[in-house]
Amino acid sequence: MSTIDQCPSTLSGDKKREIPADAPELNTIGGRKAWRSLEEFSGDASFRPFVEREFPAGASEMLGGEETRRTFLKLMGASAALAGAATLPGCRRPDHKILAYSADEPESVIPGKPLYFATSMPTGSGNGGFGVEGLLIETHSGRPTKIEGNPLHPTSRGKISVHSQSEILRLYDPDRLKNPVYKNPARGSLQATWEDFKAWWGDESGRHAADGGAGLAFIVDRVASPTMDAVRERVLATYPRATWVWWDAFDSERSAIEGSEIAFGRAQRPVYRLDRAKCVLSLDSNFISDGQDHLRNAREFSTTRRVEKKDDSMSRLYVAESTPTGTGSMADHRIALSPGRITSLAMLVAREILALVPGGSPVLRAAIEDVAVDTGDIEADTQLRRTAKIIADDLVASPDQDGGPTGSSVVIAGVRQPPVVHALAAAMNEALGAVGETVEYMDWDPVLTENPAERLASVAERIGSGGISTVVCVDTNPAYDAPGWMQMGAALKRAESVITLGVGPTETGTESTWQLNGAHFLEAWGDTRSADGTIAPIQPVIAPLFEPAMSGIEFLSFLAGEDRPDGYAIVKDAWGSGPLKGMSEARSSKAFRRALHDGVLEGTLVRPRRASVASGGIAAAVREMPQPTVARLERLDVVFTPGRLGDGRYANVGWLQELPQMGTSVTWDNPVIVSPRTADNLELLPLGVGNAEGNLDGMYTSRQMPQARIATLSVQGPDGETRTAEVPVWILPGMPDNVVHIQGGYGRSTAGLVGGNVGFDAFALIASNGFAGGASLVRSRGTETIASTQNHWSLEGRDSLVRAIDKKYWEKHAGKRKDKPDKIYGTERKNAPLTVAEQMGELAHTPDNVSAYDNPLNESDADAAAGSRYSKGPQWGMTIDLATCDGCGVCQIACQAENNIPIVGRAEVAKGREMSWIRVDRYFTGDDLNNPKEMLAQPVSCVHCENAPCEVVCPVNATVHGPEGTNNMAYNRCIGTRYCANNCPYKVRRFNFFDYAVTKYNGAFDFDELNDLVELPDQADFNKNFIPPRLREKLDEISHMRMNPNVTVRSRGVMEKCTYCIQRINAARQEVKVRGLWTSDDQVGPIPDGFMLSACQQACPSECIVFGDILDPESKVAKSRDSDRNYLLLGYLNTRPRTSYLMRVRNPNPRLGVYDEHDPLDHGGGSDKGHGSYDDQGGESHGRLPSFVDPIKKFGDDGYAMSLTVLS
Amino acid sequence: MSELFPKWMNALPTLGAIAGGGAFVSVVTGTWYWATPDFWEVGYMPEQPGAGFNHQLHAGELGIDCRYCHTHVEESAHSNVPSVATCMGCHSENKLAGWEQHDVNWVRTAYAEDSSIEWRRVHLVPDYAHFPHHVHVAAGVSCYSCHGQIQGMPVVYQAESLSMGWCLDCHRNPEENLVPPDQVTNLIWVEQEWFSKDVKDREHAGLTPEALVDSLRYDPPEHCAACHY
Repeated sequence: MSTIDQCPSTLSGDKKREIPADAPELNTIGGRKAWRSLEEFSGDASFRPFVEREFPAGASEMLGGEETRRTFLKLMGASAALAGAATLPGCRRPDHKILAYSADEPESVIPGKPLYFATSMPTGSGNGGFGVEGLLIETHSGRPTKIEGNPLHPTSRGKISVHSQSEILRLYDPDRLKNPVYKNPARGSLQATWEDFKAWWGDESGRHAADGGAGLAFIVDRVASPTMDAVRERVLATYPRATWVWWDAFDSERSAIEGSEIAFGRAQRPVYRLDRAKCVLSLDSNFISDGQDHLRNAREFSTTRRVEKKDDSMSRLYVAESTPTGTGSMADHRIALSPGRITSLAMLVAREILALVPGGSPVLRAAIEDVAVDTGDIEADTQLRRTAKIIADDLVASPDQDGGPTGSSVVIAGVRQPPVVHALAAAMNEALGAVGETVEYMDWDPVLTENPAERLASVAERIGSGGISTVVCVDTNPAYDAPGWMQMGAALKRAESVITLGVGPTETGTESTWQLNGAHFLEAWGDTRSADGTIAPIQPVIAPLFEPAMSGIEFLSFLAGEDRPDGYAIVKDAWGSGPLKGMSEARSSKAFRRALHDGVLEGTLVRPRRASVASGGIAAAVREMPQPTVARLERLDVVFTPGRLGDGRYANVGWLQELPQMGTSVTWDNPVIVSPRTADNLELLPLGVGNAEGNLDGMYTSRQMPQARIATLSVQGPDGETRTAEVPVWILPGMPDNVVHIQGGYGRSTAGLVGGNVGFDAFALIASNGFAGGASLVRSRGTETIASTQNHWSLEGRDSLVRAIDKKYWEKHAGKRKDKPDKIYGTERKNAPLTVAEQMGELAHTPDNVSAYDNPLNESDADAAAGSRYSKGPQWGMTIDLATCDGCGVCQIACQAENNIPIVGRAEVAKGREMSWIRVDRYFTGDDLNNPKEMLAQPVSCVHCENAPCEVVCPVNATVHGPEGTNNMAYNRCIGTRYCANNCPYKVRRFNFFDYAVTKYNGAFDFDELNDLVELPDQADFNKNFIPPRLREKLDEISHMRMNPNVTVRSRGVMEKCTYCIQRINAARQEVKVRGLWTSDDQVGPIPDGFMLSACQQACPSECIVFGDILDPESKVAKSRDSDRNYLLLGYLNTRPRTSYLMRVRNPNPRLGVYDEHDPLDHGGGSDKGHGSYDDQGGESHGRLPSFVDPIKKFGDDGYAMSLTVLS
Repeated sequence: MSELFPKWMNALPTLGAIAGGGAFVSVVTGTWYWATPDFWEVGYMPEQPGAGFNHQLHAGELGIDCRYCHTHVEESAHSNVPSVATCMGCHSENKLAGWEQHDVNWVRTAYAEDSSIEWRRVHLVPDYAHFPHHVHVAAGVSCYSCHGQIQGMPVVYQAESLSMGWCLDCHRNPEENLVPPDQVTNLIWVEQEWFSKDVKDREHAGLTPEALVDSLRYDPPEHCAACHY
């Protein structure tokens, strides 16, 4: 009874369709294989049944893990026993109370209409880089529900990162600290109140005041905030001898700051103007997804990647990186190198540039020439020199330019590179004439100048005997995120007292004398200062949920002697003596109010300026620098990055735990990542994988869940001691060999229900500079299931899903459309000839697509004028531009936040039950598993087919078409047959196998007395979803608050999928009607373009998602759909999707290799043979890859072709 | 051979058919009548806190417009229940002649304490159905159509079934149900001067039902996602 599985591919015996064992994969891009995983790469026969399934085997099974039939019966018995108590109230009409406001009705609150407040957020160390985002908070009757980017903030411009969106879950975290906890030395932890703390501090403070605070150390989350600066001054005025540490676990700008000191003699921050760039070299910099400027970089760089016409110019991006990143996936040439080799590459490129450019500094050139970059591996060294020469030539003579430097090239150095590389990058940029064009300079934010690791290490030493007796941690968790060699946890134990203030529970907090509940930034006053100087306010959008609570600035002011600190007054004071200084009362109060409205304080933006480098200093630094490390199998390089969870502060945020990681698509874990070859050499390939040549055998075990091997990772710390951890090892094509990538933020022990004990703690192993050498990885015992989504929702090897073309062939073909004079789509399609992108796919190869039936929806293209049902606006459509998508996942989180999409947990993800409506498919291309040519991302959600296959199979009409072209789900009609998901070729439908959205995450039984009624299985290790819903713990009250009130929360047994944000569409339509903007029947674009945005479109930093009314010729989406790059995913199936994709155009340097060795549109060597024939399976694969023809499929196809002849 | 079955049993199939038929008809008609919102929902009249709010007096006799209290009905999907402060606009001390005689001290207490009054919801559509008030009001759907003759209700009760079929009846026949937009809240007029007449006889300030439908620009939606999302 445990298997309720009707998938045909699991039927045994004769009925099972035989799949030839040698079946190769069909999916190709530009003639090369495109694959998402090793299994797909190998085309292994054992993998075929997997891709043919709608869900992995076991996903449909009722019981997971160790549950047995006996357990099931027990639970059903328990359910029946409690049925009376639990179900009868459900029959009664719910008695709703309406609680209107009383005497004080807040201004501007209109029940039913969201109200937006501008605020900002220091992203701190948690966002892969120190930075600030300007935000808009959507509130419903005073309750914040969604975080969006502030369009007026110069950094954000309405865009947002995954982390700041997830702050809403930190606000409504059921595990938040609710009151102060006092740890009594004798009696253990005691619940206490703020009054208790104030009394306790009253006794303590006298002592600290007496000795000038010599025994005090403040460890404060490093934020750029004028108010925090003022508060710091105040604290240090009260306790002049106290130690203040701005703590930032990653300190990701350290190299850049030190590098700029070498280059300019003083710290200067490079600001890139990538919209002017024609040629970009990234030296291990993930400038699109990480760092202070990543939102602006993504926005500006993407403008240089969209080509529409034949002679549109386009930038070229070289990326040398030590782990695959979003920036790497955008690259025209991605070079996987270990960090040390990237340093060598930087020097080689610098030397070439200085030689090529007339004004190149000979001193610096000589210095570089004196430094050896050779490894002894002649082939690799020659290759590196050749690559460096080609890149340097290209940087000097930008693409499409002749002669000397044009100032349109730029070199960007990344966080893991040593300071000297940053200095060299500055020298290169100056030599290239980039300064003032593609790069400008400004001062670093003053809080960044301190080295937090040094400061914290000195505090750790001085705790106890060194004189520090009291440590105050404000929004920091040093016991967890300080590097292991500092032994911060042990040091804190030596302190007399530790006081922590934070939003959630922390490792530091549980060991502290006082653990105080802090206010979340959405509940507090404050301000931020962006890298460009912009000051933005932080204003509360809700009163602290667990009052009383203090924000960081209030708490520190309290410690500095203010009895009743008030955040508003502190900010006003700080601004009065800071940015608003010297203004009259009236003007300053007006400016303040304006700032609260706009979310930015006007006139604080600092313009970058030019700066010139001092070559002598760089030359000296180059001569002094240690030899770059060379990663070897026995001395592995370790690359350390913040994972999805930042510095661990997002550990209890389920959205981020479940957001597939870049490249690996792993969720809920941080396995160490190595290249397939390295894993093979270390005998650490995931279970069942034979070797790196893709000789896979049985990787998918009975439950088809990938198993990683466990290994011991040993890293030597700066103190000389070696630290080890037992870690699962996972492989990622595109990793450089002999490099281990580990991610911080996991392995929290006290993060809460979601984030506790997920993955391993990488901070324990490594210093904070992001890179370490000399590590070893040795196989130990055991395996671990990895919940990776890379094989989920596979499109069964269908061809030409993601398309890309080299610029050379784009220039050849752009503008040339091809008539396909047939009845494709059921109508004469002469008015819509095939675009360049469509000519690259199957559509150019399929026979006439004539439907045997009269399709009621077949009118739209040709008969629009005649008044078909799709001829009246608005008709919704979307385009997704693959040229600018870097796979960052922001759309996925935006969708989750907007549409109340639940998380399901690790075990459920492993079974393929994740609920996210958007998935970001990541494809590698090429025949080399270890070193794929490209990495391409493709977000896929419901494409809203006009001829939707899902609609015709629903027995209860739960999924139906709307008059505006959207494919809708009526949740209350759905009975959960899942036929629709089965029939969906795009695999975008998600099924609520359990009550994910309504019950508490991993919550157990709601009734304690249940244990008396029946003997229950041990709760620790069984799937809690299996508990009948009415017996299960419901969602916490606080979790209800984050739900979008305009979207139904789905319960179990219901299918769901992307709705095109129908709630926003409906709200926009209602608004237009009420405002009277809809004035005539035949109005074109009655809902003006941009009046409503889908959540994913709104959030996408590189603006690759465009949504709107396709009948309005002026709309962005209509123009985008008209592009020559436009194609429909699986268009040949005649599903007529409303979401279309824009093909990527790459701009490779022919000297370094091209992607399209042949014209991708030149089929079959000029012969017409093949066109219209089903023997040619893949559009681009003719003659190069053997065509695989499934005999059974071919039989059906031949029959189909025959029927067509009869019909026509 | 004696007969196994007595003769009267010959009638059994006939009787059985009649009984079965009767049972079938009663089940169907029973379901038809009882298992519907028409039966269960119409007439729902919960007891309101305090002395309640007399719509007959305020909206009917005194002629206060609906929008005096339900202020946001024209701009928001949600028609708000007024804050206590709205009550106090008239009911604060010394404001009205004979103010001491009115039994509204409980409202004054709530105002003084700044505590909400726990009104009980009468009209409830399920969570998966969304009903936007503002669009309906703008289109010329009178309050009367869904809420009944509120101006004659001392205690508000549910007058219509609010079932999906009932919604669709109106969406499919807008001509019979639209009123001139300026009369949307004039419930007595709507009942006596508009709905009492035959559709073709209705006319107000040059507006006929036909003209009202024409002015919609957008047919009342009948697809699922108009309300269910």
